[in-house]
Amino acid sequence: MPGALSPGPLPWDRRVAVWDAALTAVRGHLRGQGLREVSTPVRVAAPAIEPYIDPIAAPPGWLATSPELAMKRLLCRGSGPIFQLSHVFRRAEVGDRHSEEFHLLEWYRVDAGLAAIERDVEAIVAAVFAAADAIDHGAERAPGRWLKASFFEVFAATTGVVLRGDEDDGALRERLPAGLRAQVWDGRPGPLDSADPGVRSLSAWTAVFSAWSDGHLGPWLSGQVGVGVHLGEFPAALAALSQVEVRGGRAVAHRVESHVGGVELANGYLELRDPAEQRRRFVAVQALRGALGAPGLPLDEGFLAELAGPGLPACVGVALGLDRLVMLACGRRRLQDVTLALGAP
Amino acid sequence: MDVSELRKNAKLQMDGHPFVVTEFNFVKPGKGQGLYKCKLKNMITGATIDRTWRSGERLEAANVESRRMQFLFAGADGFTFMDSENYEQVELSSDLVGDDRNFLLEQLEVEVLFYNNRPVGVTLPSHIVLKIVESEPGVKGDSANNPTKLATLETGYKIQVPLFVKEGERVKIDTRSGEYIERVNG
Repeated sequence: MPGALSPGPLPWDRRVAVWDAALTAVRGHLRGQGLREVSTPVRVAAPAIEPYIDPIAAPPGWLATSPELAMKRLLCRGSGPIFQLSHVFRRAEVGDRHSEEFHLLEWYRVDAGLAAIERDVEAIVAAVFAAADAIDHGAERAPGRWLKASFFEVFAATTGVVLRGDEDDGALRERLPAGLRAQVWDGRPGPLDSADPGVRSLSAWTAVFSAWSDGHLGPWLSGQVGVGVHLGEFPAALAALSQVEVRGGRAVAHRVESHVGGVELANGYLELRDPAEQRRRFVAVQALRGALGAPGLPLDEGFLAELAGPGLPACVGVALGLDRLVMLACGRRRLQDVTLALGAP
Repeated sequence: MDVSELRKNAKLQMDGHPFVVTEFNFVKPGKGQGLYKCKLKNMITGATIDRTWRSGERLEAANVESRRMQFLFAGADGFTFMDSENYEQVELSSDLVGDDRNFLLEQLEVEVLFYNNRPVGVTLPSHIVLKIVESEPGVKGDSANNPTKLATLETGYKIQVPLFVKEGERVKIDTRSGEYIERVNG
């Protein structure tokens, strides 16, 4: 029977109380760590360009899909450690764990490593669960402990395949188990057939990551009961905006994804600072978007110019989906059961 | 249509057959590609299939027309509806009505869907009001954790309602999720 046993929507009086407590807890933690709160414009001239994130147009610009580039420009201008609680918009992302508008909590630490933001994530998760517990008593337990796992190792454990991290699409296809290969290269037309080898490889890695996350990582995570997971050491091909390094025969990206209760909550990077490499990655994403027939987006030339001078200080950054965290803390499985969205749109 | 327009109850044309989306789940791992994981029901045969689409794919919408009709009665072979304007009656099999039977009360106005002039399904109003015919009295002191209890509606469907709702009262239901919305007074 549909939904007969779901805990259902959180009553409105408790929603308001939970959000007030969650926002206070988040700010309390980050301010206590010496970070300053900033608030950058929601409408931007150039959104952070991603292969599969489509911004909502707000002429003459777009609604921000993340505050990342604006915050990095503040870091270039000497802000020091900062955080932001922003409303972000991603077109056509609608589901139990997705919404076209949501709260992204994003923060940056200067001269720190990924371990520092992993500890922040743990502290913020604990604080929001505690805040919800005080209002919706006994709603849900925070993860009792956290596990650090390597993408390469979990991939090998779930598929039997040891990746190098920088294979081209042909080599990647060759190495995959038959099931995963058939899921990605299923004969439907798309950017996997592109004449551009860069487009083929980026789309192959992205598609493999999606299919693997859905079919293998998800079940593996649901086996980690009561445990938060920091999935780190991504393949260099999935570096996004993080620094990469070749070590121990692997091309590793310094990127971490944090999961609670099988739900992806946060994505952190040791931030890329090299303007030429940054431009190369943006252009590769633009080429893939072109092959997908996705709307064209401009490069953020202002950001690229500031990366070149004065330059981004050595920093780590992370973005956390606050609505998902509140949902988990209240023991719900759907965002709509906890958010303060009142209805359409 | 673009896959991003997929929703529960969307109607698609695939391999020469009309399908309706009965379950819809959008997942998007990390900064990866979005996956649209659907269960679909063949609107002619009632058979269900699973299908996953990826961001960027395109689909064909099914050419389905709908007529406003009234539910008359459930018989051994299916459910009978009548066009309120020309009194024409049509029958739908139980397979085609599916879970919607949980909310079908005599005289309810619904949209009956036709594909090539054949009735293939119903669309209920998004909210309906039904009477509670059976429910335990609420237990005091249990309200902190899970302040709901099981209740049976006049159609026989069982649903979770808040403790304060009593037998004989009427409640508004979301027919898409099958969940309680609110108590209706008077």
